[in-house]
Amino acid sequence: MSDKNDDDAPPSSPTAGSASTENAGTDGKSPTSVDSPSVSPAPGATASTSSKLKSNSLKVDILLKPAGDAPIMKKKKWTVDRTKKISWVSDFIKKYIKSEASESLFLYVNQAFAPSPDTDIGSIFDCFGSDGKLVLHYCRTQAWG
Amino acid sequence: MAYKQSRLTMADDREILREIWEGKVPVCFQLAQEEVYTGEQPDPFFLLVPRLSYFPLVTDKVLRHMMKHVDPEHHGEMWLEFDGQPLKWHYPIGVLFDLYGMSTDLPWKLTVHFQNFPEEELLRCSSKEVVQSHFISVVKEADALKHRGQVINSMQKKDHSTLWAGFMNDKFDQFWSVNKRLMENSGEKAFMFVPFRIYRADQIPVQKLFKPCADSGESLTLRHLLKTAVPELMETDALISSRVLIQGIEPPLDTPVCWLSEHLSYPDNFLHICLMPRVEVES
Repeated sequence: MSDKNDDDAPPSSPTAGSASTENAGTDGKSPTSVDSPSVSPAPGATASTSSKLKSNSLKVDILLKPAGDAPIMKKKKWTVDRTKKISWVSDFIKKYIKSEASESLFLYVNQAFAPSPDTDIGSIFDCFGSDGKLVLHYCRTQAWG
Repeated sequence: MAYKQSRLTMADDREILREIWEGKVPVCFQLAQEEVYTGEQPDPFFLLVPRLSYFPLVTDKVLRHMMKHVDPEHHGEMWLEFDGQPLKWHYPIGVLFDLYGMSTDLPWKLTVHFQNFPEEELLRCSSKEVVQSHFISVVKEADALKHRGQVINSMQKKDHSTLWAGFMNDKFDQFWSVNKRLMENSGEKAFMFVPFRIYRADQIPVQKLFKPCADSGESLTLRHLLKTAVPELMETDALISSRVLIQGIEPPLDTPVCWLSEHLSYPDNFLHICLMPRVEVES
């Protein structure tokens, strides 16, 4: 296990399709874009192999989907550090959809519950990720609950 | 499943749930010295607070008592600190106490602040509704793990309200009238995974998927859970020098996780486990 908890650590260099992330994130902290699904486990991989691979990895794939009247994000799939918090993802989406920092944004897992903002993405991925990715719905008003 | 046979009778079970429900921590609240505006340090405020509750639900009186002594022009949301450690309101009080207060003298001496809110460490809590929505969300997460969310989804809004009101108003029977459905653990409703979080000071909590039974049907124990969730601890001698605390209790590591989940979970339906360094007693 890595102890890489430092949020100020320099971002690792983005992989495919990084150019289009430039206006989304600030100071280079945007998640890495993954247009090419090369990070996903190979189709033939067994579930246990792929989850093993993922838990050893420092980054996970997330898929961001709008709910309610929230605008669609052109790029939906991102790779983020496991240690990033829900609040960080929420701030990132707000910047991307050009929402005011003061406006609220709710993030949901399983279209059912809103993890607390200080939860790390890695834990949520481990419990609620499937097919090598974690689906998060974002919404401007409380959607579920 | 071995443990089912040796299971305690329902009456005994209920007694354990009661004991857990009634667990309390004596706390002494004191206003931060540097925030005293009125010249004189206000008297400390003493409360016996339920381990299962959350600080914003039990500190109205503390707030009113301390507010009279702070600068009316410069104060924000109240927050609590123990020995330099800001306390997260969204952790149950018992978890905070096990994590930070276990080896100190009682009452637990907390410092009350109205300034310099540590944004990086704490979440804001503007009202009791915020606590309620946090609580219900954690209950939903727990049910997503236990029953794929099927039990909570089959409930009506009024069931959620009953659950919350029972918890809020210390009404054990009211709370359990709904919670027993969430704790259903047999047949088709058997727990798929056990909702748990492991806390250590200065580290982010650990949460993983953990099935209560092996494929062979053997019920898995707290030791298995720790091996899965914090393997680095089991590889070294670290576990020997750690205390494993749930609800302030050190359960034997051979206790089936299912039993722990059904009896020692907090009202949010999670098993909150604290790992503490064992303090050597000098002879």
